[in-house]
Amino acid sequence: MNRKKAIQIIAKIINDQPIISANGFISRELFNTYEKKSNFYMLGSMGLASSIGLGVALKNPKKTIYVFDGDGNILMNLGSMTTIGTIKPKNLVHIIFDNSIHESTGGQPTNSKKIDLGKIAQCVNYKTFVAQDEKELEKIMKNIKFGKGPILLKIKISKTTKIEKRISIEPTEIRSRFQKSII
Amino acid sequence: MKKIIQKKIFNYLLNKKIENFIGVPDSTLKYFISEGIKRKKVIISTREEEAIGIACGMQLSNSSSLVFMQNAGFANSIGTIASLVDLYKIPLIFLIGWRGYLKTDAPEHLKIGKIQKKLLKALDLQTKILTDENWEKNCNWATQKIKKNQSCVIIIRRIQDE
Repeated sequence: MNRKKAIQIIAKIINDQPIISANGFISRELFNTYEKKSNFYMLGSMGLASSIGLGVALKNPKKTIYVFDGDGNILMNLGSMTTIGTIKPKNLVHIIFDNSIHESTGGQPTNSKKIDLGKIAQCVNYKTFVAQDEKELEKIMKNIKFGKGPILLKIKISKTTKIEKRISIEPTEIRSRFQKSII
Repeated sequence: MKKIIQKKIFNYLLNKKIENFIGVPDSTLKYFISEGIKRKKVIISTREEEAIGIACGMQLSNSSSLVFMQNAGFANSIGTIASLVDLYKIPLIFLIGWRGYLKTDAPEHLKIGKIQKKLLKALDLQTKILTDENWEKNCNWATQKIKKNQSCVIIIRRIQDE
């Protein structure tokens, strides 16, 4: 399954709930697949999508907050998983799109093939789900009990074949429309 | 800085509607942080960049936040300040402990201590140093900055060897 397909499957469940998406192709693909005002596209600060998501989740306990993370991104800030696992926000769904490469910089390998991010998540108090293909993802999305988090969903994805266009919204506009959407 | 003043600073900022205090501990700021922990208002993060990320998430939810760190951690945070805080114009108060202010401080703090002012200036972060005498005025300045949606820095110096 490619990331776009995975985003489409997840989007059916998410509706208008906030999404914090990691930099690189993840944000670009979200922008071109499921653009909405409650998406916070993180353009820089690689690694920090889950930290931003934690801050949003703690301040909005009635909403379910989704983090669209990558394997390269979370490996840069693994400490974030320990903080999330310590605070245990019930309303945080941390999704890792795992292609085992730094795709937007030219496909260099990450370590995610040789270690088990799902097991790490389990050890730090996440409820963990792993989807290898579309069927599994659809099943998980149907049965997942949101509000019982923190939830980690690792989705194995293939390399992207079509590179999506860059995000055309100004960063300050991304911020202000997100802020308005969350009030 | 004395324990009683640091406690007062924490409570002053809390009363001025700074709702979240997130960071990595620094001995220079220990009484401030202890007061915050006592009042259950503090999140200790694993790294300073992570603290900034969490604080930005809270600020995006319209809840004012302060990030505390030692200046070593401020040096770690430069990329995040440039590509998150500054890029999106997310207002935060940074409280930084200035190690290496005295030349007699531990050797690992001297370089950052020396270039700290230049780093802050390069990032266009307006800065005030807090003392026993001026802390109230300068904390008020910081809370006014946040209201105007601008980030700023307040600093506590390590002025004696401990």
